[in-house]
Amino acid sequence: MRTTLPPDLRCAVTLGVDFDGTSHEVGRGIAPLGTHSWGRYSARRGIPRLMDMLSRLAVPCTFFVPGYDAERHPTLVQEIDRAGFEVAAHGYLHEAWDLPKDEESKLLHRTDDILRQLLGKPVLGWRSPSGRKTAHTMHELKAMGYLYDSSDKDYDLPYRLRFGHGADDCIVELPNNTYSLDDFPFFKFSHTPPSEVLAQWKSEFDAIYASDRFCVLVVHPRSGWGSGTPVRTRIFEDAIAYMKGHAGVRFFSSADFARWCMAHPQHLEELDVSEARAA
Amino acid sequence: MKALTWPDGARCAVFVSVNFDAEVFDLRSTTEDRLFGRFSYGRYGVRAGLPRLTALLARRGIAATVFVTASDAKRHPDALRALHDAGHEIAARGMDLTPLPSLGAGERQALEACREALAKVTGTAPVGFRAPGGELSSQTLGHLAELGFNYDSSFQDDDLPYLMAPTAGTRLVQIPTVHALDDSLPFSARHTHARVFQIWREEFDALYAEGCLVPLTIHLRGDVGSTRAARIAALEELLEHMAAQPGVCFMTGAQLAAHVRAADPPAEENPITVHLPTLAVTPYRGDLSVKPL
Repeated sequence: MRTTLPPDLRCAVTLGVDFDGTSHEVGRGIAPLGTHSWGRYSARRGIPRLMDMLSRLAVPCTFFVPGYDAERHPTLVQEIDRAGFEVAAHGYLHEAWDLPKDEESKLLHRTDDILRQLLGKPVLGWRSPSGRKTAHTMHELKAMGYLYDSSDKDYDLPYRLRFGHGADDCIVELPNNTYSLDDFPFFKFSHTPPSEVLAQWKSEFDAIYASDRFCVLVVHPRSGWGSGTPVRTRIFEDAIAYMKGHAGVRFFSSADFARWCMAHPQHLEELDVSEARAA
Repeated sequence: MKALTWPDGARCAVFVSVNFDAEVFDLRSTTEDRLFGRFSYGRYGVRAGLPRLTALLARRGIAATVFVTASDAKRHPDALRALHDAGHEIAARGMDLTPLPSLGAGERQALEACREALAKVTGTAPVGFRAPGGELSSQTLGHLAELGFNYDSSFQDDDLPYLMAPTAGTRLVQIPTVHALDDSLPFSARHTHARVFQIWREEFDALYAEGCLVPLTIHLRGDVGSTRAARIAALEELLEHMAAQPGVCFMTGAQLAAHVRAADPPAEENPITVHLPTLAVTPYRGDLSVKPL
Protein backbone atom coordinates (compact mmCIF):
# COMPACT_ATOMS: atom_id res chain seq x y z
CA MET A 1 0.00 0.00 0.00
CA ARG A 2 1.25 3.43 -0.94
CA THR A 3 0.87 6.31 1.49
CA THR A 4 -2.06 8.47 0.41
CA LEU A 5 -3.02 11.63 2.22
CA PRO A 6 -6.79 11.91 2.68
CA PRO A 7 -8.64 14.47 0.55
CA ASP A 8 -9.20 16.76 3.55
CA LEU A 9 -5.44 17.15 3.88
CA ARG A 10 -4.79 18.78 0.55
CA CYS A 11 -1.06 19.27 1.15
CA ALA A 12 1.21 18.99 4.20
CA VAL A 13 4.41 21.00 4.61
CA THR A 14 7.06 20.60 7.30
CA LEU A 15 9.80 23.23 7.49
CA GLY A 16 13.16 22.50 9.06
CA VAL A 17 16.09 24.60 10.21
CA ASP A 18 19.23 22.56 10.89
CA PHE A 19 21.10 24.70 13.46
CA ASP A 20 24.61 23.60 12.39
CA GLY A 21 26.62 26.00 14.49
CA THR A 22 30.27 25.58 15.38
CA SER A 23 29.65 21.88 16.07
CA HIS A 24 30.03 21.34 12.35
CA GLU A 25 33.68 22.42 12.34
CA VAL A 26 34.69 21.51 15.89
CA GLY A 27 33.49 17.94 15.35
CA ARG A 28 35.93 17.65 12.48
CA GLY A 29 38.76 18.98 14.64
CA ILE A 30 38.70 22.35 12.86
CA ALA A 31 38.92 25.60 14.86
CA PRO A 32 35.84 27.70 14.00
CA LEU A 33 37.92 30.73 13.03
CA GLY A 34 38.30 32.69 9.82
CA THR A 35 36.74 30.94 6.86
CA HIS A 36 35.65 28.18 9.26
CA SER A 37 33.63 30.63 11.39
CA TRP A 38 30.42 30.23 9.36
CA GLY A 39 28.82 28.23 12.15
CA ARG A 40 29.15 31.20 14.50
CA TYR A 41 26.75 33.04 12.22
CA SER A 42 23.95 30.60 13.15
CA ALA A 43 23.60 31.76 16.75
CA ARG A 44 24.68 35.37 16.19
CA ARG A 45 22.41 36.18 13.24
CA GLY A 46 20.87 33.29 11.36
CA ILE A 47 18.67 31.73 14.04
CA PRO A 48 17.27 35.06 15.30
CA ARG A 49 16.56 36.25 11.74
CA LEU A 50 14.87 32.99 10.73
CA MET A 51 12.83 32.92 13.95
CA ASP A 52 11.66 36.49 13.38
CA MET A 53 10.60 35.64 9.84
CA LEU A 54 8.83 32.39 10.78
CA SER A 55 7.04 34.10 13.66
CA ARG A 56 5.91 36.88 11.35
CA LEU A 57 4.48 34.30 8.94
CA ALA A 58 3.03 32.33 11.87
CA VAL A 59 4.14 28.99 10.47
CA PRO A 60 5.43 26.10 12.59
CA CYS A 61 8.99 24.92 12.07
CA THR A 62 11.31 22.34 13.58
CA PHE A 63 14.84 23.35 14.59
CA PHE A 64 17.21 20.37 14.52
CA VAL A 65 19.97 21.19 16.99
CA PRO A 66 23.31 19.42 17.57
CA GLY A 67 23.95 18.84 21.29
CA TYR A 68 27.23 20.75 21.24
CA ASP A 69 25.55 23.84 19.82
CA ALA A 70 22.82 23.61 22.47
CA GLU A 71 25.52 23.54 25.16
CA ARG A 72 27.14 26.67 23.69
CA HIS A 73 23.80 28.51 23.24
CA PRO A 74 21.36 27.22 25.87
CA THR A 75 19.37 30.46 26.09
CA LEU A 76 18.88 30.68 22.36
CA VAL A 77 17.67 27.09 22.19
CA GLN A 78 15.22 27.83 25.00
CA GLU A 79 14.04 30.87 23.07
CA ILE A 80 13.36 28.72 20.01
CA ASP A 81 11.16 26.53 22.18
CA ARG A 82 9.47 29.45 23.93
CA ALA A 83 8.66 31.02 20.56
CA GLY A 84 6.56 27.92 19.89
CA PHE A 85 8.88 26.09 17.52
CA GLU A 86 9.88 22.47 17.90
CA VAL A 87 13.43 21.63 18.96
CA ALA A 88 14.64 18.23 17.77
CA ALA A 89 17.97 16.40 17.81
CA HIS A 90 20.69 16.60 15.17
CA GLY A 91 23.76 14.73 16.44
CA TYR A 92 26.18 15.93 19.11
CA LEU A 93 29.12 17.30 17.11
CA HIS A 94 27.24 17.04 13.80
CA GLU A 95 28.89 13.66 13.25
CA ALA A 96 29.41 13.34 9.50
CA TRP A 97 31.23 10.05 9.74
CA ASP A 98 30.34 6.44 10.48
CA LEU A 99 30.02 5.74 14.18
CA PRO A 100 30.48 2.38 15.89
CA LYS A 101 27.22 1.20 17.44
CA ASP A 102 28.18 1.97 21.05
CA GLU A 103 29.44 5.40 20.14
CA GLU A 104 26.28 6.14 18.19
CA SER A 105 24.07 5.17 21.14
CA LYS A 106 26.16 7.23 23.52
CA LEU A 107 25.96 10.34 21.35
CA LEU A 108 22.23 10.00 20.65
CA HIS A 109 21.62 9.82 24.40
CA ARG A 110 24.03 12.62 25.16
CA THR A 111 22.25 15.07 22.86
CA ASP A 112 18.86 13.86 24.03
CA ASP A 113 19.88 14.53 27.66
CA ILE A 114 21.17 18.00 26.81
CA LEU A 115 18.05 19.06 24.92
CA ARG A 116 15.58 17.45 27.32
CA GLN A 117 17.15 19.10 30.35
CA LEU A 118 17.34 22.43 28.58
CA LEU A 119 13.70 22.35 27.46
CA GLY A 120 12.22 20.46 30.38
CA LYS A 121 10.30 18.20 28.03
CA PRO A 122 10.93 15.18 25.84
CA VAL A 123 12.58 15.43 22.45
CA LEU A 124 10.42 13.79 19.79
CA GLY A 125 12.47 13.64 16.64
CA TRP A 126 15.86 13.36 15.04
CA ARG A 127 17.46 14.21 11.76
CA SER A 128 20.82 12.70 10.98
CA PRO A 129 23.64 15.21 10.61
CA SER A 130 25.01 14.57 7.08
CA GLY A 131 22.37 11.88 6.49
CA ARG A 132 24.29 8.93 7.94
CA LYS A 133 22.11 6.39 9.70
CA THR A 134 22.28 2.67 10.45
CA ALA A 135 19.90 -0.22 11.02
CA HIS A 136 20.56 0.36 14.72
CA THR A 137 19.53 4.01 14.79
CA MET A 138 15.76 3.48 14.75
CA HIS A 139 15.95 1.12 17.74
CA GLU A 140 17.78 3.72 19.76
CA LEU A 141 15.47 6.58 18.72
CA LYS A 142 12.43 4.55 19.63
CA ALA A 143 13.94 3.51 22.95
CA MET A 144 14.38 7.21 23.76
CA GLY A 145 10.70 7.80 23.02
CA TYR A 146 11.14 9.55 19.68
CA LEU A 147 8.15 9.60 17.37
CA TYR A 148 9.95 10.18 14.11
CA ASP A 149 13.12 10.26 12.10
CA SER A 150 13.59 12.68 9.20
CA SER A 151 16.73 11.43 7.47
CA ASP A 152 15.87 8.86 4.83
CA LYS A 153 15.89 9.83 1.18
CA ASP A 154 14.01 6.88 -0.25
CA TYR A 155 10.50 8.23 -0.74
CA ASP A 156 8.37 11.33 -1.34
CA LEU A 157 5.81 10.59 1.36
CA PRO A 158 5.77 9.85 5.06
CA TYR A 159 5.68 6.19 5.98
CA ARG A 160 5.93 3.79 8.90
CA LEU A 161 9.42 2.39 9.19
CA ARG A 162 9.24 -1.09 10.74
CA PHE A 163 12.56 -2.15 12.22
CA GLY A 164 11.50 -5.17 14.31
CA HIS A 165 8.70 -7.69 14.80
CA GLY A 166 7.30 -6.22 18.01
CA ALA A 167 4.09 -4.19 17.91
CA ASP A 168 5.96 -0.99 18.77
CA ASP A 169 9.00 -1.65 16.60
CA CYS A 170 8.24 1.09 14.14
CA ILE A 171 8.78 4.79 13.85
CA VAL A 172 7.40 7.47 11.56
CA GLU A 173 9.77 8.38 8.74
CA LEU A 174 9.54 11.87 7.21
CA PRO A 175 11.93 11.59 4.26
CA ASN A 176 13.83 14.65 3.04
CA ASN A 177 15.89 15.46 -0.03
CA THR A 178 19.15 17.36 0.27
CA TYR A 179 19.65 17.82 -3.47
CA SER A 180 16.78 20.16 -4.13
CA LEU A 181 14.55 20.77 -1.09
CA ASP A 182 17.52 22.14 0.82
CA ASP A 183 19.61 25.31 0.57
CA PHE A 184 23.15 24.03 0.71
CA PRO A 185 23.41 22.39 -2.75
CA PHE A 186 22.65 25.71 -4.41
CA PHE A 187 24.80 27.90 -2.22
CA LYS A 188 27.69 25.50 -1.80
CA PHE A 189 27.98 23.89 -5.21
CA SER A 190 26.09 25.67 -7.94
CA HIS A 191 26.38 29.33 -6.91
CA THR A 192 22.75 29.78 -7.85
CA PRO A 193 21.33 33.30 -7.48
CA PRO A 194 18.80 33.46 -4.63
CA SER A 195 16.00 34.40 -7.02
CA GLU A 196 16.70 31.25 -9.01
CA VAL A 197 16.71 29.11 -5.87
CA LEU A 198 13.29 30.54 -5.06
CA ALA A 199 12.09 29.64 -8.56
CA GLN A 200 13.45 26.13 -8.07
CA TRP A 201 11.63 25.68 -4.76
CA LYS A 202 8.39 27.02 -6.23
CA SER A 203 8.73 24.57 -9.10
CA GLU A 204 9.40 21.72 -6.67
CA PHE A 205 6.35 22.73 -4.68
CA ASP A 206 4.14 22.99 -7.77
CA ALA A 207 4.99 19.40 -8.69
CA ILE A 208 4.48 18.18 -5.14
CA TYR A 209 1.18 20.03 -4.79
CA ALA A 210 0.01 18.31 -7.96
CA SER A 211 1.11 14.82 -6.90
CA ASP A 212 2.33 13.56 -3.51
CA ARG A 213 1.18 16.62 -1.53
CA PHE A 214 3.92 16.33 1.09
CA CYS A 215 6.82 18.76 1.24
CA VAL A 216 9.85 18.84 3.57
CA LEU A 217 11.94 21.97 3.04
CA VAL A 218 15.17 22.39 5.00
CA VAL A 219 17.51 25.36 5.42
CA HIS A 220 20.56 26.14 7.54
CA PRO A 221 21.08 29.36 9.52
CA ARG A 222 24.83 29.60 8.95
CA SER A 223 26.73 31.87 6.62
CA GLY A 224 28.52 30.31 3.64
CA TRP A 225 26.10 27.71 2.34
CA GLY A 226 23.27 28.54 4.69
CA SER A 227 20.19 30.76 4.61
CA GLY A 228 20.54 32.90 7.73
CA THR A 229 21.73 35.91 5.73
CA PRO A 230 19.26 38.61 4.64
CA VAL A 231 18.57 37.70 1.01
CA ARG A 232 18.45 33.97 1.65
CA THR A 233 16.06 34.31 4.58
CA ARG A 234 14.00 36.48 2.24
CA ILE A 235 13.68 33.79 -0.43
CA PHE A 236 12.88 31.15 2.21
CA GLU A 237 10.13 33.52 3.34
CA ASP A 238 8.95 33.99 -0.26
CA ALA A 239 8.86 30.21 -0.78
CA ILE A 240 6.76 29.78 2.37
CA ALA A 241 4.44 32.60 1.31
CA TYR A 242 4.07 30.94 -2.09
CA MET A 243 3.06 27.65 -0.46
CA LYS A 244 0.65 29.46 1.86
CA GLY A 245 -0.99 30.95 -1.19
CA HIS A 246 -2.15 27.51 -2.33
CA ALA A 247 -5.54 26.25 -1.20
CA GLY A 248 -5.53 23.65 1.54
CA VAL A 249 -1.83 23.76 2.42
CA ARG A 250 -1.23 22.98 6.09
CA PHE A 251 2.05 23.57 7.86
CA PHE A 252 3.06 21.18 10.63
CA SER A 253 6.01 20.90 12.95
CA SER A 254 7.68 17.57 12.28
CA ALA A 255 6.45 16.24 15.64
CA ASP A 256 2.88 17.33 14.96
CA PHE A 257 2.97 15.73 11.57
CA ALA A 258 4.41 12.54 13.06
CA ARG A 259 1.45 12.58 15.49
CA TRP A 260 -0.90 13.04 12.56
CA CYS A 261 0.72 10.03 10.88
CA MET A 262 0.32 7.96 14.04
CA ALA A 263 -3.34 8.96 14.28
CA HIS A 264 -3.97 7.98 10.66
CA PRO A 265 -2.25 4.58 10.31
CA GLN A 266 -4.65 3.54 7.56
CA HIS A 267 -3.15 6.18 5.27
CA LEU A 268 0.46 5.23 5.85
CA GLU A 269 2.56 2.76 3.97
CA GLU A 270 4.76 0.50 6.06
CA LEU A 271 8.31 -0.31 5.02
CA ASP A 272 9.73 -3.35 6.78
CA VAL A 273 13.49 -3.18 7.29
CA SER A 274 13.54 -5.55 10.26
CA GLU A 275 15.83 -7.95 8.42
CA ALA A 276 18.46 -5.25 8.08
CA ARG A 277 20.89 -5.75 10.92
CA ALA A 278 23.20 -3.31 12.59
CA ALA A 279 26.87 -4.14 12.06
CA MET B 1 23.54 42.33 20.55
CA LYS B 2 23.55 46.11 20.19
CA ALA B 3 23.39 47.14 16.58
CA LEU B 4 26.16 49.29 15.21
CA THR B 5 25.03 52.50 13.53
CA TRP B 6 26.80 53.90 10.49
CA PRO B 7 28.47 57.31 10.30
CA ASP B 8 26.40 60.37 9.43
CA GLY B 9 23.14 58.48 9.57
CA ALA B 10 24.10 56.25 6.63
CA ARG B 11 21.84 53.29 6.06
CA CYS B 12 24.50 50.78 5.14
CA ALA B 13 28.24 50.61 4.53
CA VAL B 14 29.97 49.01 1.56
CA PHE B 15 33.47 47.67 2.18
CA VAL B 16 35.30 47.25 -1.11
CA SER B 17 38.16 44.87 -0.40
CA VAL B 18 40.64 43.59 -2.94
CA ASN B 19 42.70 40.44 -2.51
CA PHE B 20 45.83 41.28 -4.52
CA ASP B 21 46.92 37.60 -4.84
CA ALA B 22 49.05 37.99 -7.97
CA GLU B 23 52.11 35.78 -8.62
CA VAL B 24 52.03 34.59 -5.02
CA PHE B 25 48.88 32.65 -5.87
CA ASP B 26 50.47 30.95 -8.91
CA LEU B 27 53.56 30.16 -6.86
CA ARG B 28 51.46 27.78 -4.76
CA SER B 29 51.42 25.53 -7.84
CA THR B 30 54.70 26.27 -9.59
CA THR B 31 58.15 27.88 -9.33
CA GLU B 32 59.47 31.35 -10.22
CA ASP B 33 60.92 30.18 -13.53
CA ARG B 34 57.54 28.86 -14.67
CA LEU B 35 55.31 31.91 -14.15
CA PHE B 36 54.18 31.73 -17.77
CA GLY B 37 51.20 30.36 -19.61
CA ARG B 38 48.56 29.09 -17.22
CA PHE B 39 50.58 30.45 -14.33
CA SER B 40 50.52 34.03 -15.60
CA TYR B 41 46.95 34.91 -14.55
CA GLY B 42 48.45 36.57 -11.50
CA ARG B 43 50.64 38.80 -13.64
CA TYR B 44 47.52 39.69 -15.63
CA GLY B 45 46.01 41.00 -12.42
CA VAL B 46 48.77 43.57 -12.06
CA ARG B 47 49.45 44.39 -15.72
CA ALA B 48 45.89 44.50 -17.09
CA GLY B 49 43.56 44.26 -14.12
CA LEU B 50 44.87 46.75 -11.61
CA PRO B 51 44.83 49.79 -13.95
CA ARG B 52 41.25 48.96 -14.91
CA LEU B 53 40.13 48.55 -11.31
CA THR B 54 41.89 51.71 -10.05
CA ALA B 55 40.37 53.68 -12.91
CA LEU B 56 36.91 52.40 -11.96
CA LEU B 57 37.40 53.24 -8.28
CA ALA B 58 38.66 56.71 -9.21
CA ARG B 59 35.64 57.30 -11.45
CA ARG B 60 33.33 56.29 -8.62
CA GLY B 61 35.33 58.06 -5.91
CA ILE B 62 35.66 54.88 -3.86
CA ALA B 63 38.59 54.06 -1.58
CA ALA B 64 39.28 50.33 -1.40
CA THR B 65 41.27 48.17 0.98
CA VAL B 66 43.90 46.06 -0.75
CA PHE B 67 45.11 42.97 1.11
CA VAL B 68 48.53 42.03 -0.17
CA THR B 69 51.24 39.53 0.75
CA ALA B 70 54.81 40.65 1.33
CA SER B 71 55.75 38.40 -1.57
CA ASP B 72 53.60 40.33 -4.06
CA ALA B 73 54.53 43.66 -2.44
CA LYS B 74 58.20 42.95 -3.08
CA ARG B 75 57.43 42.25 -6.74
CA HIS B 76 55.16 45.28 -7.21
CA PRO B 77 56.26 48.09 -4.87
CA ASP B 78 55.42 50.84 -7.36
CA ALA B 79 51.89 49.57 -7.87
CA LEU B 80 51.34 49.52 -4.11
CA ARG B 81 52.76 52.99 -3.65
CA ALA B 82 50.44 54.23 -6.40
CA LEU B 83 47.45 52.62 -4.69
CA HIS B 84 48.50 54.13 -1.37
CA ASP B 85 48.98 57.58 -2.94
CA ALA B 86 45.56 57.34 -4.60
CA GLY B 87 43.97 56.99 -1.15
CA HIS B 88 43.45 53.24 -1.04
CA GLU B 89 44.34 51.32 2.09
CA ILE B 90 47.15 48.75 1.91
CA ALA B 91 46.52 45.92 4.37
CA ALA B 92 48.39 42.73 5.18
CA ARG B 93 47.87 39.19 3.96
CA GLY B 94 50.93 37.37 5.31
CA MET B 95 54.39 36.82 3.83
CA ASP B 96 52.88 34.60 1.16
CA LEU B 97 49.73 32.46 0.91
CA THR B 98 50.99 29.68 3.19
CA PRO B 99 48.14 28.89 5.61
CA LEU B 100 49.02 30.38 8.98
CA PRO B 101 48.24 27.23 11.02
CA SER B 102 51.09 25.47 9.21
CA LEU B 103 53.67 28.05 10.34
CA GLY B 104 53.70 26.85 13.95
CA ALA B 105 56.16 28.76 16.11
CA GLY B 106 57.18 30.90 13.13
CA GLU B 107 53.73 32.45 12.70
CA ARG B 108 54.22 35.53 14.86
CA GLN B 109 57.50 36.38 13.20
CA ALA B 110 55.94 35.97 9.74
CA LEU B 111 53.08 38.33 10.65
CA GLU B 112 55.53 40.88 12.00
CA ALA B 113 57.81 40.59 8.96
CA CYS B 114 54.84 41.06 6.65
CA ARG B 115 53.81 44.20 8.51
CA GLU B 116 57.33 45.60 8.26
CA ALA B 117 57.65 44.72 4.58
CA LEU B 118 54.46 46.64 3.72
CA ALA B 119 55.45 49.58 5.95
CA LYS B 120 58.71 49.79 4.03
CA VAL B 121 56.93 49.96 0.69
CA THR B 122 54.23 52.52 1.54
CA GLY B 123 55.82 54.30 4.47
CA THR B 124 52.82 53.42 6.65
CA ALA B 125 52.40 50.29 8.77
CA PRO B 126 49.25 48.38 7.77
CA VAL B 127 46.50 48.23 10.40
CA GLY B 128 44.41 45.53 8.75
CA PHE B 129 44.88 41.85 8.09
CA ARG B 130 43.19 39.11 6.09
CA ALA B 131 44.46 35.55 6.44
CA PRO B 132 45.51 33.57 3.35
CA GLY B 133 42.70 31.14 2.57
CA GLY B 134 40.88 32.52 5.62
CA GLU B 135 42.87 30.04 7.74
CA LEU B 136 43.77 31.15 11.27
CA SER B 137 45.65 29.29 13.97
CA SER B 138 44.43 29.47 17.55
CA GLN B 139 47.19 32.07 18.12
CA THR B 140 46.61 34.35 15.13
CA LEU B 141 44.13 36.80 16.67
CA GLY B 142 46.37 37.28 19.70
CA HIS B 143 49.45 37.84 17.54
CA LEU B 144 47.63 40.39 15.40
CA ALA B 145 46.42 42.41 18.38
CA GLU B 146 49.81 42.32 20.09
CA LEU B 147 51.67 43.30 16.91
CA GLY B 148 49.58 46.45 16.58
CA PHE B 149 47.04 45.43 13.97
CA ASN B 150 43.73 47.19 14.41
CA TYR B 151 41.47 44.71 12.67
CA ASP B 152 41.18 41.31 11.03
CA SER B 153 38.88 40.61 8.10
CA SER B 154 38.92 36.83 7.79
CA PHE B 155 35.76 35.66 9.56
CA GLN B 156 32.31 34.97 8.10
CA ASP B 157 30.23 35.10 11.22
CA ASP B 158 28.26 38.36 11.34
CA ASP B 159 26.46 41.08 9.41
CA LEU B 160 28.36 43.85 11.17
CA PRO B 161 31.93 44.46 12.34
CA TYR B 162 32.48 43.86 16.05
CA LEU B 163 35.13 44.09 18.73
CA MET B 164 36.94 41.14 20.25
CA ALA B 165 39.55 40.71 22.98
CA PRO B 166 42.00 38.11 21.65
CA THR B 167 44.09 38.19 24.84
CA ALA B 168 43.67 39.93 28.18
CA GLY B 169 43.85 43.66 27.62
CA THR B 170 44.12 43.54 23.81
CA ARG B 171 41.46 44.55 21.32
CA LEU B 172 40.92 43.65 17.69
CA VAL B 173 38.04 44.61 15.42
CA GLN B 174 36.60 41.84 13.27
CA ILE B 175 35.25 42.88 9.87
CA PRO B 176 33.45 39.76 8.66
CA THR B 177 33.20 38.85 5.00
CA VAL B 178 30.74 36.55 3.28
CA HIS B 179 31.41 33.91 0.63
CA ALA B 180 28.40 35.01 -1.42
CA LEU B 181 30.21 38.31 -2.09
CA ASP B 182 33.60 36.80 -3.01
CA ASP B 183 34.14 36.72 -6.78
CA SER B 184 36.76 33.98 -6.80
CA LEU B 185 34.39 31.16 -5.84
CA PRO B 186 31.81 31.43 -8.62
CA PHE B 187 34.48 32.39 -11.18
CA SER B 188 36.53 29.40 -10.11
CA ALA B 189 33.41 27.31 -10.84
CA ARG B 190 33.33 29.00 -14.28
CA HIS B 191 30.11 30.91 -13.83
CA THR B 192 29.29 33.85 -16.06
CA HIS B 193 29.82 37.39 -14.83
CA ALA B 194 26.13 38.05 -15.44
CA ARG B 195 25.27 35.36 -12.93
CA VAL B 196 27.89 36.46 -10.40
CA PHE B 197 26.82 40.09 -10.41
CA GLN B 198 23.16 39.11 -10.30
CA ILE B 199 23.95 37.26 -7.05
CA TRP B 200 25.79 40.30 -5.74
CA ARG B 201 22.96 42.62 -6.60
CA GLU B 202 20.40 40.44 -4.85
CA GLU B 203 22.70 40.11 -1.84
CA PHE B 204 23.28 43.86 -1.72
CA ASP B 205 19.59 44.77 -1.94
CA ALA B 206 18.77 42.63 1.09
CA LEU B 207 21.83 43.72 3.11
CA TYR B 208 20.97 47.34 2.34
CA ALA B 209 17.38 46.85 3.46
CA GLU B 210 18.61 45.58 6.83
CA GLY B 211 21.42 48.13 7.29
CA CYS B 212 24.18 45.53 7.23
CA LEU B 213 27.79 45.76 6.19
CA VAL B 214 28.26 44.88 2.51
CA PRO B 215 31.72 43.29 2.32
CA LEU B 216 32.82 42.81 -1.29
CA THR B 217 35.85 40.64 -1.90
CA ILE B 218 37.34 41.30 -5.33
CA HIS B 219 40.33 39.57 -6.85
CA LEU B 220 42.62 41.14 -9.44
CA ARG B 221 43.53 37.94 -11.24
CA GLY B 222 42.61 37.23 -14.84
CA ASP B 223 41.10 33.84 -13.98
CA VAL B 224 39.04 34.07 -10.79
CA GLY B 225 39.11 37.85 -10.44
CA SER B 226 36.84 40.67 -11.60
CA THR B 227 39.21 42.82 -13.64
CA ARG B 228 38.65 41.59 -17.17
CA ALA B 229 36.88 44.21 -19.27
CA ALA B 230 33.43 42.65 -19.18
CA ARG B 231 33.65 41.91 -15.47
CA ILE B 232 34.81 45.43 -14.65
CA ALA B 233 31.85 46.76 -16.61
CA ALA B 234 29.49 44.52 -14.64
CA LEU B 235 31.16 45.52 -11.39
CA GLU B 236 30.81 49.18 -12.28
CA GLU B 237 27.12 48.71 -12.97
CA LEU B 238 26.73 47.14 -9.55
CA LEU B 239 28.69 49.88 -7.76
CA GLU B 240 26.56 52.42 -9.59
CA HIS B 241 23.42 50.67 -8.37
CA MET B 242 24.73 50.70 -4.80
CA ALA B 243 25.75 54.34 -4.89
CA ALA B 244 22.34 55.26 -6.26
CA GLN B 245 20.55 54.07 -3.10
CA PRO B 246 20.01 56.72 -0.44
CA GLY B 247 22.34 56.45 2.54
CA VAL B 248 25.02 54.14 1.17
CA CYS B 249 28.52 54.96 2.35
CA PHE B 250 31.74 53.33 1.17
CA MET B 251 34.26 52.65 3.94
CA THR B 252 37.73 51.13 4.02
CA GLY B 253 38.68 48.51 6.58
CA ALA B 254 40.67 51.06 8.56
CA GLN B 255 37.67 53.42 8.64
CA LEU B 256 35.35 50.62 9.72
CA ALA B 257 37.73 49.55 12.47
CA ALA B 258 38.10 53.11 13.73
CA HIS B 259 34.32 53.51 13.65
CA VAL B 260 33.77 50.35 15.73
CA ARG B 261 36.41 51.39 18.25
CA ALA B 262 34.88 54.85 18.59
CA ALA B 263 31.53 53.22 19.40
CA ASP B 264 33.38 51.44 22.23
CA PRO B 265 31.24 48.28 22.39
CA PRO B 266 32.01 45.57 24.93
CA ALA B 267 34.73 43.28 23.57
CA GLU B 268 33.82 39.65 22.98
CA GLU B 269 35.96 36.83 24.30
CA ASN B 270 38.45 35.23 21.90
CA PRO B 271 36.17 32.97 19.83
CA ILE B 272 38.52 29.99 20.16
CA THR B 273 38.52 29.88 23.98
CA VAL B 274 35.21 28.11 24.48
CA HIS B 275 36.13 25.39 21.97
CA LEU B 276 39.65 24.57 23.15
CA PRO B 277 38.71 21.72 25.52
CA THR B 278 36.70 19.92 22.81
CA LEU B 279 39.26 20.58 20.07
CA ALA B 280 41.97 19.13 22.32
CA VAL B 281 40.25 15.74 22.34
CA THR B 282 38.80 15.76 18.81
CA PRO B 283 40.86 14.27 15.98
CA TYR B 284 41.26 16.23 12.78
CA ARG B 285 38.95 14.63 10.24
CA GLY B 286 39.75 16.89 7.34
CA ASP B 287 37.31 17.85 4.69
CA LEU B 288 34.27 15.63 5.02
CA SER B 289 32.07 17.85 2.95
CA VAL B 290 29.86 16.37 0.29
CA LYS B 291 31.37 16.64 -3.17
CA PRO B 292 29.73 16.44 -6.58
CA LEU B 293 30.13 13.10 -8.34
